[in-house]
Amino acid sequence: MITVGCDIGSLFAKAVILDDDELIASKIVRTTGNMADEVDEFLKDVIREAGLSRDRIDCLGGTGAGADILKDAEFVESTLTCVGAASSYYIPETRLSIDIGGQSITSMLLDENGRVLNFMRNDKCASGSGRFLEVMSDKLDVEIEDIDQTVAKSRKTVAISNQCGVFAESEVITHVNNGEQTPDIIAGVCDSVANMVATQGRRFGMAEHYTLTGGVAKINFVTGVIKGKLDGTFHPFPFDPQLAAAIGAALLGD
Amino acid sequence: MFFAGIDIGSLTAQAVVIKNGKIIGAKTISVLPHPVDSAKEVIDRLLSKQEIKWEDIKCAVSTGYGREKIQQEGLTRENISEISCHGLGAYTINPNIRTVIDIGGQDAKVIKVNQSGKLDNFVMNDKCAAGTGHFLEVMSKTLGVSLDELGPMSRKSRKPVEMSNRCTIYVETEVIHFLQQGVSKIDIAAGINRAMAERVVALARRVEPEKEIMMTGGVAKNVAVKSEIEKTLKVKMVKSKIDPQIMGAYGAALFAQKQEGAK
Repeated sequence: MITVGCDIGSLFAKAVILDDDELIASKIVRTTGNMADEVDEFLKDVIREAGLSRDRIDCLGGTGAGADILKDAEFVESTLTCVGAASSYYIPETRLSIDIGGQSITSMLLDENGRVLNFMRNDKCASGSGRFLEVMSDKLDVEIEDIDQTVAKSRKTVAISNQCGVFAESEVITHVNNGEQTPDIIAGVCDSVANMVATQGRRFGMAEHYTLTGGVAKINFVTGVIKGKLDGTFHPFPFDPQLAAAIGAALLGD
Repeated sequence: MFFAGIDIGSLTAQAVVIKNGKIIGAKTISVLPHPVDSAKEVIDRLLSKQEIKWEDIKCAVSTGYGREKIQQEGLTRENISEISCHGLGAYTINPNIRTVIDIGGQDAKVIKVNQSGKLDNFVMNDKCAAGTGHFLEVMSKTLGVSLDELGPMSRKSRKPVEMSNRCTIYVETEVIHFLQQGVSKIDIAAGINRAMAERVVALARRVEPEKEIMMTGGVAKNVAVKSEIEKTLKVKMVKSKIDPQIMGAYGAALFAQKQEGAK
């Protein structure tokens, strides 16, 4: 069975194609102001990439904050349900999934079937979110995908004392003006994000086995710091963690 | 006898010189990287327009960011927190004042003073940019209008937009989306000011504000934020006869005068 999962997030739109549980194609684009007009083309692209035609698709599942623009979706499920389903399917022992997205951090407790028992979400404040990371790396002129490479050159971590993204931005500028090195400041920014995530995970209640999903989980340095701060065994998501919700949506269509 | 107050904020620095409690000169400048340099610069600029010299100042008090350093440098005899200074400044202008809402560039404070102008209680937000001057600064930049325009223009709005976020970073994205959708800048500005006022009111409610309120600090100049706060708190703010942005420096100068009198 071939299913498509599409996740319209606050910063990125993600689409995946699963052949049963095998990932055969995926695509990630920046969410734009007129995503509603562009989403059809986006889906066509990923289907083409998989070497398929639209009539071969058995089901399209939607998720994400902007899922209402998916007019052709057979169903729309919450990101909670989708991330939970994907985490649990590929890592059956996982009972906690922490999703670090563009505009939120969500910890969810899962049962053995991947159903969400309880969750905690911060979407009020940008600290710890993908957007926070973006604002800071923008100021430092470092691409998000180059963060790990940049941090590898760091010799120390310049601590960021402000939690507020706007104040932290001023702080980053001050550090630059004081002659601190970009890799050291980026390390501090990642540390700050990881701290926010770990704090939520701990407050929510840890599980023996956990995974991290969402775009921010792509950054190894961030997941490394989180791992160091949380009890329990970390299981990396087997695909690009930014695709977790889209994969979950595709799995639910199966 | 002349007395001076120096207030170094996150974005601007002010100096005020008083004689017998009356302001005879005041100056506001943008801050320099170091507070001591800001203090020297603002004093120089203020005195260059006056016929008095720094030596004529009997006593000076510093307040705000870096107030200790300015005292250590010997520029001022004493340093006093901006909370007390805003409280005393507002109270001196109108002794009926019991609550002062002071919103600066990087923090917001709600100060309560007793019937003799002494500090009674206060709450402060310096953790989150929402509800501080920084919020308005970011939004005016995103909207492409000056900070001074933001208040007056939003008074023309018939349909203020509703912000679904509080966080400055998220509201910034929201503003961009509104602009992309072609919503008028006037309605967006009104929504920004309303969102700003909401945060201030939430802070103020934590100390149960009295009816006699004065707004000080740079944001007090934004007429729309002020009237939104008035509407929600159901109060009419007491007008300040002086520039609300120099209130901290004025209060510091008053403290300097008090000190001399106590000797």
